[in-house]
Amino acid sequence: MENPYYPIDTVVEDIITETPTIKTFCLKPARPIDFKAGQFMQLTMPGIGEAPFTPSSDPNISEKMEITILKTGKVTDALHELKPGAKVGLRGPFGEGYPLDKLEGREVLVVGGGVGLAPLRALIYALLDDPSRYKKISIKYGARMPEELCFKRQYQDWKNRADNVSFQPTIDVPAEGWDGHVGLVTTLLDDLDVSIEGSYALSCGPQIMLKFVTLKLLEVGYKPPQIYLSMNRKMSCGMGKCGRCNVGQYYLCVDGPDMCYDKIKHVPNVFG
Amino acid sequence: MKFIDSTNFVKLIKKLTAEGELYYPFLDEETGSYHLKRASGFPLEEDFELGGYRAVEPSKGVAQHARVTVAEYPSENPDEITNPDNIIPSVVLGAKGCDVNAMKMVDKVQVEGEFTDPLYKIRRDKMFVVAADCDDCKESCFCTLLGRKPWPEDGYDLAVSKISGGYLIEAGSERGEKVLAENGKLTSEAREQQIKARDEKRQKVLARLKENNSQFPDLTGMPEKLREAINDEIWKELAKDCVECGACTNICPTCYCFLLYDRKMDGDYFRRLSNWDSCQLTGYARMAGMLNPRASLVDRVKHRFYHKYDYLVSSHDDIFCTGCGRCIDACSASIDIRDVLARIEQKVTG
Ligand SMILES: Cc1cc2nc3c(=O)[nH]c(=O)nc-3n(C[C@H](O)[C@H](O)[C@H](O)COP(=O)(O)OP(=O)(O)OC[C@H]3O[C@@H](n4cnc5c(N)ncnc54)[C@H](O)[C@@H]3O)c2cc1C
Ligand code: SF4
Ligand code: FES
Repeated sequence: MENPYYPIDTVVEDIITETPTIKTFCLKPARPIDFKAGQFMQLTMPGIGEAPFTPSSDPNISEKMEITILKTGKVTDALHELKPGAKVGLRGPFGEGYPLDKLEGREVLVVGGGVGLAPLRALIYALLDDPSRYKKISIKYGARMPEELCFKRQYQDWKNRADNVSFQPTIDVPAEGWDGHVGLVTTLLDDLDVSIEGSYALSCGPQIMLKFVTLKLLEVGYKPPQIYLSMNRKMSCGMGKCGRCNVGQYYLCVDGPDMCYDKIKHVPNVFG
Repeated sequence: MKFIDSTNFVKLIKKLTAEGELYYPFLDEETGSYHLKRASGFPLEEDFELGGYRAVEPSKGVAQHARVTVAEYPSENPDEITNPDNIIPSVVLGAKGCDVNAMKMVDKVQVEGEFTDPLYKIRRDKMFVVAADCDDCKESCFCTLLGRKPWPEDGYDLAVSKISGGYLIEAGSERGEKVLAENGKLTSEAREQQIKARDEKRQKVLARLKENNSQFPDLTGMPEKLREAINDEIWKELAKDCVECGACTNICPTCYCFLLYDRKMDGDYFRRLSNWDSCQLTGYARMAGMLNPRASLVDRVKHRFYHKYDYLVSSHDDIFCTGCGRCIDACSASIDIRDVLARIEQKVTG
C-alpha cells in the first residue's frame, strides 16, 4: 500500500532571496508533482519536521516547484539556513485549490499581503496563462516597506501581459525612492477598477490583514459568496485524518485552504 | 442463529488467534471494572468475560496505536512500513455495541475520502471483531439517548450473546460466516428458548439504561440545538472546572486526532511518528507566531462538543458520540457530557 506519510525525495536547486525574511526555494522532486493553483504541500525539513506551504510557481509545470517561505519559526528558520543542493521532502498536493472554474468570464480581484502573494502567484500564473478567459484581472498587493515586496522582478510582465490585467502595489508607510501608492492594502480597495457585480475577490495574507480586507470588501459591496480567503490553521496530516485544521465543520486541508467566506463567516474566531 | 458451548467457544477463539494477537475484556474483581487486555498467541488465558458492559479502555488503540512509526526516510523502500504482510492480525473479543459503533465512525474518517490512513486501514482489515451483548450497564452508560442499542447491530464479524452454558453466536460479515461454516462441528442450531432468553436479557438492560437516563433528554437532535448555543455562558462555566488533562479525549473511542513529528535517528535517516493528540491541550492548534484560534480554554472545551455533535455530523454524517460514558468516568472535574447537553437543551428550548 502506498504510504502517503512518506515525503518524496526533493533537491533544493536554487534559492532566491526575495526580502530580508522571505526566500523562494526552487525544488526538484524525484518525480513530477501535479498541482492546481492554491493546493498546498507539506514540506519536510529532515529531522526537524513538516510545515504546510502553497507552491508559488506555475501549476503548468510539474517537474519543478517553487515555494516561497517567510522565516518565522522552527521549520522555516532551518529552511532559510539551507544551501542549494540540500535535500528536503514533499508530500501532497493537498486541498481543493482556487475555484478557477468559477472565475471564468468574471472580473477577478486578487488581494495579497506580505508573503501572502506566494500562494497567489500560482493563481496569477494560472489566470495569466490565458487572460482572455476572464473579463478583468486586478491584482492589489501590499507590504510594509519596499524591501518587503516579493517577486518585484515580475510586476512589469504582469502589467504588460494583457489590457485587462492591472497590478498595483502599495507600502504601509512612505519610503525614500518609492513613488507608488502608500497605505494599507485595504486603501487600494476604495476606488476599485473592477465592477463588483458578478466579480470574485480572492485574498491571502496574514490573518489580521484577511480580516480587514474582508470587512473592506463587504463595505464596498462584495457579498460573502463572492469572497475567497486563504485560511491558516495548524496542520499535520494534510489529508483530513488528524482532526486538526478545522474551521467550523470544514477541514482546511481537504475543503480549503481557500474558503468561501460565506461558508465560514459564522465560525467563532474565524480570523484566529 | 447458532449456539456454542463455553468449551467449544474457547476452541474457536484459539483457532482465530493462532497467528495473531487477541484483545479481550476481563473483570477485575477488586474494582468491579472490566479492562481490556492483550494476549499474543498461545497459551491463551481464559479469564475473559463477555457479559457485563464496555471495558474501561476503548479498543481504538488496536487500529490506531497511541504512538506509531508511519515513515522512515530517506528509504529505498518507502512502502515497506505499509506492507500488510508486516502487520500482525488481531482478534478483538467482546467489543460492545458502543465499541463497534465507534470503529464504524472512525473508519469513515481514516479510510474514506481521497486519502486513506494506510496503517489504520491495514490494521482494521486484519482485525476480526467478535462483538458481544451488554447484559449489564454502568451508571455512566447512555447509548440509548443517542438511539443506539446495548448490543451490536452491525460492524462485526461474529456477535455473541452470553446465555446459560455458552453463547448464541451469529455472523455479521462474510469472514464471520466462513468461520462459522468451517467450524460447524463446534456449534448447534439455537433453540427458540435460548433466543427468547437473549431477547429478555436485552430488554432488561435496555429498560435499565432508560431508567438510569430518565432525567436526560434524547440527544439525537442536539446538533441543531448546539448551533444556537455557540455563545452561551455554559462554556465559560465548564472552562472554570476543566483541568485541561485531556483524559476525556484520550479515553474517547471516537477521538482519533493525532500529530506527526519527526525524529533524527543514528546515521542520516529520520523517523516520522504519529502520536495521539488532544484538542483540549493548548498546543494543539497553535500556529507560527504564537497565533492560536483556540487559545482560550473556553474555546477548547467548546470544541470537543461541537466537533462531535455538530461538525462531524456535517462532514461524516454521524454524531461522533457512542454514549459509552467513558469521558464521564475519566473526568477529574466531574464534567458529565449528558448534563451539559441537557442544560443546553433546556436553555435552547426554554
Ligand atoms: C495551507 C497553508 C499554506 C501556507 N503557505 C505558506 C507559504 O506559501 N509561505 C509561507 O511562508 N508560509 C505559508 N504558510 C504558513 C506556514 O505553514 C507557517 O509559517 C509554518 O508552519 C511555520 O512553521 P515553523 O516551524 O517555522 O514555525 P513555528 O512557530 O516554530 O512552528 C509552528 C508550530 O510549532 C508549534 N509551536 C510553536 N511554538 C510552540 C511552543 N512554544 N510550544 C509548543 N509548540 C509550539 C505550533 O504548534 C506550530 O504548529 C502556510 C500555511 C498553511 C496552513
Ligand atoms: S454505553 Fe451501551 S453499549 Fe456501551 S457499554 Fe454501556 S450499555 Fe453497553
Ligand atoms: S491537517 Fe490533518 S486534518 Fe487537516
